[in-house]
Amino acid sequence: MFEEMERLTRVLCAEHGTSGCEDDVFEAAKRELAFCDTVTVDELSGVTGIFGNPDAKRRILLDAHIDQIGMVVTNIDENGFLRVTNVGGVDRRTMPGSPVTVYGKETLTGVVCTLPPHLMQGKEEKIKPVSEQAIDVGLSREEAEQLVSIGDRAVLTCTVRKLMGNRVSGTALDDRSGCACIIRAAQMVQEKDPDCCVMVVCSTREEVGGQGAQIRTYTLEPTEAIAVDVSFAKQPGAQNLNAELGGGPMIGFSAALDRRISKKLIRLAKENDIPYQLEAMGGRTGTNCDEIGVSRGGVRTGLISVPQRNMHTPAEVCDLEDMENIAKLIAAYIMDGKD
Amino acid sequence: MKDLAILEKLCTAIGVSGEEDAVRAVILQEIEPLADSVEITPLGNIIAFKKGKNRAAKKLMLCAHMDEVGFVITNITEEGFLKFKTVGGVRPEVLSGRAVLVNGKTPGVICAKPVHLMKGDEFEKPVPVEELSIDIGASSREEAETAVQIGDNASFVPFFESSRGTVKAKSLDDRAGCFVLIELMKTELEFDTYFVFSVQEEIGLRGAGTAAYIVEPDAAIVLEGTTAGDIAGVEPVDTVCKLGGGAAVSFIDRRTIFTKAFFKRALELGRENNIPCQPKTASAGGNDAGSIHVTKSGVKTVTLAVPCRYIHGPVAIASEADIENTVKLTALLMAEIAGGRTV
Repeated sequence: MFEEMERLTRVLCAEHGTSGCEDDVFEAAKRELAFCDTVTVDELSGVTGIFGNPDAKRRILLDAHIDQIGMVVTNIDENGFLRVTNVGGVDRRTMPGSPVTVYGKETLTGVVCTLPPHLMQGKEEKIKPVSEQAIDVGLSREEAEQLVSIGDRAVLTCTVRKLMGNRVSGTALDDRSGCACIIRAAQMVQEKDPDCCVMVVCSTREEVGGQGAQIRTYTLEPTEAIAVDVSFAKQPGAQNLNAELGGGPMIGFSAALDRRISKKLIRLAKENDIPYQLEAMGGRTGTNCDEIGVSRGGVRTGLISVPQRNMHTPAEVCDLEDMENIAKLIAAYIMDGKD
Repeated sequence: MKDLAILEKLCTAIGVSGEEDAVRAVILQEIEPLADSVEITPLGNIIAFKKGKNRAAKKLMLCAHMDEVGFVITNITEEGFLKFKTVGGVRPEVLSGRAVLVNGKTPGVICAKPVHLMKGDEFEKPVPVEELSIDIGASSREEAETAVQIGDNASFVPFFESSRGTVKAKSLDDRAGCFVLIELMKTELEFDTYFVFSVQEEIGLRGAGTAAYIVEPDAAIVLEGTTAGDIAGVEPVDTVCKLGGGAAVSFIDRRTIFTKAFFKRALELGRENNIPCQPKTASAGGNDAGSIHVTKSGVKTVTLAVPCRYIHGPVAIASEADIENTVKLTALLMAEIAGGRTV
């Protein structure tokens, strides 16, 4: 089930792309968007695939961010341990003992320093801030300096693994799952020759403020936009949430989102028998929608979220069926010119 | 370096205490052609005997444990999450967000509430094990039960990498010790020797004592993968032992006061033969010597350990040279003890 969605997810999650360093994953996105009329790669803003009627009045932007949270090397200490700080919202509790991949001159494996229980007698159980933790790549300072430079990136390692049912886990599902959704939606409508211009953007730097979406939206001048990001599904430790994994696309309502688009998405979900769930947010959404909406003279923007557990950890979990349904909903949205 | 492929097979096998079957199979495959006799004890220890050129003046037993720390599934929630307890000592701080394998085959992850939803100083505190759950992707108890039942074990995900003189792997504690034993069994021995691969070390040294009861040795050398604290943020005085310093030799730990003559002789042999080795500079942890040295009327024991950083976590780091030097030093000490030259 959902083989194409699983394939896209694996291909996109396999590459490194911490915010501002997305080049490796750009290549994967570019290959997957090759069916578009044009595909461009821009270091600052990301990968854009465009198809449909270039002269149409209706210009739809589909956005999902391609960057992931991670760490950046700030120093190499006298014993060869790498000191790092966070790029985006890293959860310090997931770091101690974790395997790490360091993207230096070569790709290296490391471990985040932690003491074994045998050496903890009488010591306080408190987790240090990211910048006070260290990565051990098993090298002396001299050796480490040959292979790793200050500014190099690192991520907590966790490859994509299929869980039971249609679920997948892995690091960077935030928001490569969203990228997979918009690419899949584009695959679905491309052959139907839609009477509008569709601009698929896998954007950079969302985890550090959404600069990629901001500048790309300016360039592309969309008349409307749908962004796909991940959002919180019910899970242990967070039971008081509305959305559930496997419950379908989460259609966003917020002061910063266009209510007509949100309602249209509900109508289309009903018409197409796509399960959906609602997510209401206070002011801004904490997604690229916040930047896209205020581009130039303003862009009407909708948000569809992939329900996810364990966000910003190496153990992110999403459901491929939710993702396939998001792609279907976006495809229906593109093909329906009415509000 | 010696045959690291064997170390890889050992480290990537899964053998949570009490269910060491997969590791035992790997070891048996390697040692059956090398041993003169092999016996499996009721609890699952392997006792292998190999003849030397001479009969031993003192009956010597080498011991390394096969088991690893892990998890046991204690409950399955209505929503399909697995509740678990640790098997052996695992700090909660290494658990949030980790990948695991249930029953050696079903992939899962240990849940961690998103950092965005935390309040106050929640993000500074490790989540206690009883509040953690494993997510295998099941959406109900019924679905989970098609793959898992209460009492099943889970482990960290197999990992092995060796490069530039270091080994990074799951379960170096104590597959490093098992590897040392296998390497020694490949050599021509001066004296008859018993090699024990023990079970249930991580839950209180339960296997080795029963093996020693059967072997009835005069002396024992325990091979371990032990706590190297030479890492960032630890004062030099607290490092216990260092990677690259050779085998760590214990004079005391939480379970055993080791035979002083053996401890001294091990360090001397290292010096005399230019084999790096180091005294373990703390009384921390405990190993199979704890149960071996009080077996029957008592057994003189010594521990030689491969220094390993981050044991009892998903991936530990050791030095290839340390492993090799531990093999060399153990070989010399075996001859001394079995030959009755050090008593």
